[in-house]
Amino acid sequence: MTRFVLRRVLQGMFSILGASVIIFVVTRLSGDPVVLMLPPEAPEAMVSQMRERLGLDLPIWQQYFMFLSDAVTGDFGNSYRWEMPVLELIRERLPATIYLASAALVFSLMLSIPFGVLSAVWRGSWFDRFAKGVAMLGQAMPNFWVGLLLIIVFAIGLEWLPAYGADTPKHVILPAIALGWYPVAAQTRIVRSAMLDVLDSDYIRMGRSVGVPEGVLIWKYAFRNAAVPLVTMMGVYFASMLGGAFVVEVVFAWPGLGRTVVEALFARDFPVVQAGVLFAALMFVAANLVVDLSYGLIDPRIRNDR
Amino acid sequence: MSRIRMGAGAIALTCALLGSVAGPVTAEQTGQLTVALAAESTTMDPAKYSAGVDQYFIGTMFEMLVKPMPDGTVQNWLAEDWSIDDSNPDKPIIDVHIRPGVTFHNGDPLTSEDFRFSYERQADPNVSRWSHLQANVEEFEIVDDLHFRLHFSKPDAAYIANYLQLWAMPKKYFEQVGEEGFGQHPVGTGPWKFNSRKVKEELRLEAYDGYWNKDHHPTVKDLVIKIIPEDLTRVAALKTGEVDWIDNVPPAMLEDVKSQPNVATAAMPSGNNLFLDMDTIPEGPLQNVKVRQAIAYGIDMDAIIETVLFGQGIRYAEVSKDGTGYDPDLKPYPYDPAKAMQLMAEAGYPQGFDIDCYNLITPREPNMKEMGEAMYAYLGTIGVRCKVINLEYGAWINLGRRDEKTDQLNGGLLSWMWGQSIPADPTIAWGGHLHSYEPGKGWGSYSHVNDPEFDKMIEDASGEMNQDKRVAKLKEIAKRKHELVLGGLTTYQPLVTMAWNDTKVDYTPWPYPGFWRNFQEIGLKTQN
Repeated sequence: MTRFVLRRVLQGMFSILGASVIIFVVTRLSGDPVVLMLPPEAPEAMVSQMRERLGLDLPIWQQYFMFLSDAVTGDFGNSYRWEMPVLELIRERLPATIYLASAALVFSLMLSIPFGVLSAVWRGSWFDRFAKGVAMLGQAMPNFWVGLLLIIVFAIGLEWLPAYGADTPKHVILPAIALGWYPVAAQTRIVRSAMLDVLDSDYIRMGRSVGVPEGVLIWKYAFRNAAVPLVTMMGVYFASMLGGAFVVEVVFAWPGLGRTVVEALFARDFPVVQAGVLFAALMFVAANLVVDLSYGLIDPRIRNDR
Repeated sequence: MSRIRMGAGAIALTCALLGSVAGPVTAEQTGQLTVALAAESTTMDPAKYSAGVDQYFIGTMFEMLVKPMPDGTVQNWLAEDWSIDDSNPDKPIIDVHIRPGVTFHNGDPLTSEDFRFSYERQADPNVSRWSHLQANVEEFEIVDDLHFRLHFSKPDAAYIANYLQLWAMPKKYFEQVGEEGFGQHPVGTGPWKFNSRKVKEELRLEAYDGYWNKDHHPTVKDLVIKIIPEDLTRVAALKTGEVDWIDNVPPAMLEDVKSQPNVATAAMPSGNNLFLDMDTIPEGPLQNVKVRQAIAYGIDMDAIIETVLFGQGIRYAEVSKDGTGYDPDLKPYPYDPAKAMQLMAEAGYPQGFDIDCYNLITPREPNMKEMGEAMYAYLGTIGVRCKVINLEYGAWINLGRRDEKTDQLNGGLLSWMWGQSIPADPTIAWGGHLHSYEPGKGWGSYSHVNDPEFDKMIEDASGEMNQDKRVAKLKEIAKRKHELVLGGLTTYQPLVTMAWNDTKVDYTPWPYPGFWRNFQEIGLKTQN
């Protein structure tokens, strides 16, 4: 198990390093940030001075190694646009994004698990078609559009929930639905097909024949096994939530990292983009690592294999 | 000694408006209002001012020597009086008397030392991104606590056009807390004092009860500025009562917002003046004045504004109605496709020509992308066949700049804009996009024109610090520019609309979008 964990951690570090190289090169392909920072009539001497001050006059490999050596000590530089330490910006914003992504994941599971399980149990029934429809609807609509619809219905129309912000637990409901609805279809499919396999197995038939109550049989014995593939994919889903949060955060004025990185992209605020992507990669790797470990815990066969 | 006293009438009016003796605000301020802006400042340190958006927060807490008023006039503000001494016309002096009795939010009195400190920070390229605007000030002379002189190495009209461009910053406080401390907890002389800020979320301000201006001040105690970038969400927040005031109502939603009960709206021209820039390189068709005029006659701007912008735009000819150098005799080109076709034929293009037309797709002004597309579509009907190339903001800025290291227009058309506050003064803008490109000298940094006559006229106007004489010179430039359609075809000024809960909010709109977001005069209606 220790070797397995170490191997996964090492792989994760390589992934993060790879992401850092890609984002470093790609941001620099987008153009010169100094052009956006200074007014058009700024003299060329001032432009050169600014480039020098930001270290943008150095060869790209030198810039990268400076960035990397600072980053490992936790120094991601100052935002060009905000003139404040990037780490401070991220530290303030990241928890809100994790909170939103977690709430969205919980919402998606709250729908997909009962949908998947009951669709398998009542295969071909009206509920099966209904669940499929609801799930597909979430996949068919872009999350920013879902967000706007939710605001129109639940904030303006019914006045049940706030339209924006993150002040109270009520504020997370609409953005979590907007973000969490999309993966419901995929998750439902996974649970449904896994449940169908499990419900068809001998131990379930055996349980049913000895009189185990149907509810216990489905939720305690069948679902536990059917959940393994869902757990496997959880890291990917969580990562996709983090990605999707970039847009949803703008719609709901959610004070998260996504909104910060999107705005930084447009402003060519390299340090913020680099650090934002690096942290996103870190979370992606961490989420997958946790899933890998929990997968092993749920399924002893896999743990023993490794 | 020839001495030009600026704004003598304005001073009298200011005294009447502001009261002859400055003193703290006397009316009791209570309650709280919540407003929502689409964008927020990146800094709260005036010396680090980067773009127009920074005015939103800075202007609530900090003030300058003069200020544009709601009626569009520029009045003395922290300056009680100022004048230009041009006894040596090559080296003019601006002589400033500061208004007595003004204090910073921490209680320190405002003195000449504070302005010198401000000048030094604003002139330092390691601090300010606009340090070049202070380049012609060769000496800052303090006469006494409330009297200072700016000695110029050469005439500089831009200094006046930029509202004497010195923000009042507290030297003593800054030295106590340092640059970082000042940025985190700014202290100015403005109507609002800093309370707290969460970046990208909110700014909390409190009315400064020691504020000097008894006639123009907030009557509500607390102001919460929320940042809601998404248009629909911002409008929704107003409808649900979560906020009391919003800016940037999108044109498509304006009718809906206006139809809401108890909602008041006000529209103001945006600080940006939009135009269609034309690259007049010798080998391109746009070097021919008849082609440029054909383009001017070939676009039905009124129809485009009405349909694409839902009427939220104003046409202008070279200088906007409230701008310096505005000439009421100068009218925008009318839509006349027959004349446009005739001019095309006379120019030697009866069959038309193909051309690259660049368009900004990043939201900057409402529906700007669609406005560009519509203009280019109209041009197709007179034979100017556009290959529309869409650009995001960074690429668009790059293309506009005459930097050899970046892509160039190469004879194409570009939907572009200039912004120089309101009242707009085109002196600086024309130096950028009408004067020939002279690398390293600051002229023509984004110009696609090469016309020695204009160069002379612009340099002359830029050195004219006498307002009346400068207005006359700007009118001459505008007239010639309009006839030759050079430095771009002026198209429209977008209107920006703000909306508020009329039963709750007592609000006086101030001009220029930057200033109306400073909430100089806002309060709870029930109090009045």
